[in-house]
Amino acid sequence: MKRTLNLLLACCLVCCWGASALAVTPEAQPKVITSASKNVVEIGLSYSGDKIFFFGVNPVSGADVVIKLTAEKEEIVKLSVKGKFGPLWMSVKQYEVTGSPFIYKIHASKPLDQIISKETAQKWELGYPAVESKIKMNLIRGEAAPEDADTVWKGLLKIKERANLYNIVEDPARLEIAEGKLFKHYFRFPPAATEGRYQVESFCFLKGELVGYGKDVIEIKKVGLEHWLTQTSQNQPVFFGIMAVFIAVAVGLLVGVIFGKGGHH
Amino acid sequence: MEIYLPIAGMSINVFLILGVGGLVGFLSGLFGVGGGFLLTPLMMMIGIPPAVAAASDSNQIVAAASSGAFAHWRLGNVDFKMGLVILAGGIFGGTIGVQLVKILRAMGNFEFVMTVVYVLMLGLVGGAMFVESWRTIRRSKSATAEAAVAPVSESGLTRLFNKMPLKMNFHRSGLNTSAIFPFTIGTIVGIMAAILGVGGGFIMVPAMIYIIGMPTIAAIGTDLFQIVLTSANVTLQQAIVNHTVDLLLALILLSGSTIGAQFGAVAGKRLKGEQIRILLAIIVLALTVKLFLDLVLTPSDLVSLAPAKGGGH
Repeated sequence: MKRTLNLLLACCLVCCWGASALAVTPEAQPKVITSASKNVVEIGLSYSGDKIFFFGVNPVSGADVVIKLTAEKEEIVKLSVKGKFGPLWMSVKQYEVTGSPFIYKIHASKPLDQIISKETAQKWELGYPAVESKIKMNLIRGEAAPEDADTVWKGLLKIKERANLYNIVEDPARLEIAEGKLFKHYFRFPPAATEGRYQVESFCFLKGELVGYGKDVIEIKKVGLEHWLTQTSQNQPVFFGIMAVFIAVAVGLLVGVIFGKGGHH
Repeated sequence: MEIYLPIAGMSINVFLILGVGGLVGFLSGLFGVGGGFLLTPLMMMIGIPPAVAAASDSNQIVAAASSGAFAHWRLGNVDFKMGLVILAGGIFGGTIGVQLVKILRAMGNFEFVMTVVYVLMLGLVGGAMFVESWRTIRRSKSATAEAAVAPVSESGLTRLFNKMPLKMNFHRSGLNTSAIFPFTIGTIVGIMAAILGVGGGFIMVPAMIYIIGMPTIAAIGTDLFQIVLTSANVTLQQAIVNHTVDLLLALILLSGSTIGAQFGAVAGKRLKGEQIRILLAIIVLALTVKLFLDLVLTPSDLVSLAPAKGGGH
């Protein structure tokens, strides 16, 4: 009886294993145990970005590690494209880009193309080509041209990289793996990384195959005055607008009165 | 010292913003312009999203203009009656302008035509002003006798409007003319401002001086007074429709600009009308050159975040 039960249990386990191996979710892989130095970042008056440390244990010793930081929210970006109109440079068209992550950072223990194939990179959305293939462009104004997709993508990438929202670092010094097992690194959240939930995913690859996966969620939220101002501007816009005008007029007149008294009149 | 701006969603150096605000406030107090032409691009250069830059800028203009208008009012340079008539014309013109933009957009190539017209007009206004004030300065140096020369002798236009009904006495401006005159000027500038997407201070002040015939200092004070009302309206619209007014950014900017505006107004008092006019002409010409270069030189970035059209009217 006991033996049958054990057999049944073993069968079940095998079935489960098989089913999860078939699924393409990275969670199906052995879990990478990770830990972050903090999971909640509060935006107060003096917030100017934050640095969060991450630690993890490589499930297979010697595997390569790729870590991806993305925001849960996707954004709609409106971009103007300049072009020549006769002899003059003008903004000739406008695109609305959807499906681009607000933030996208990758840390890898060595160049991505040495760790995984293009297909694998595409599958787990690792690297810029994967992002590029995911975004959608919608022409709002002007006439489309075949080279637009490339121009707009490169332009967006430049804007994002300048704001420190996108970057890819393929450097073993930046992502240390101690004795092939314990890895540590940090992500710098730029000041532009605003309220929302961010996910840090750790992928472990051995010979191009995914052998481990882990995920941490970091929440950034506004507190105090920052929170109140944002909420009020969104939920009570009329009050907020009147308050803004009132304060401006009051300060203007106040400064006028102070200067008038202290002046030479 | 860094401070985080809640609506712009970024942190910024307080002293940098204070300094920029102070400079723009000084220009505002001296020339009677809002300063949005300078501040909005500067804010965008620092990395503030275009929509937030434009909206918060209009909020701080309310403060700088009220500070400047108050200083000018003490000095007796604000013609409230004239300001209100021009403002009424401006609102009327703005409404027409917005409709015109819709029609012109549908016809295509609208932006191109407008940009070229804008640059040409700024160049023309700046150039004419420069020549006129330069001549006045030279004349006042050589011949001391005829010191008090009005910018323009009574033109046919002025005579025509003198015969129109609704005559009003604009005491501060030293004019006695039909209210239709400043109303019409306000309307025309309002239409242009709506079409060009600019505040219009650069067109309004020269128009008040050269067409309506107001003394330079009174034109500046009066324009500041009407800017308070128009920018208050824009701020309110931006807050309600777009939620893009960053009060914290505006507060830091206006701390600098209200003080700057006071110094500007005092500096304006020490300078002669033609000296102010020649300085304004130089700034207008510099702006023209900058816009012209933007059109001609190959831009370093072909793709940029789309600017939000500022202004609620």
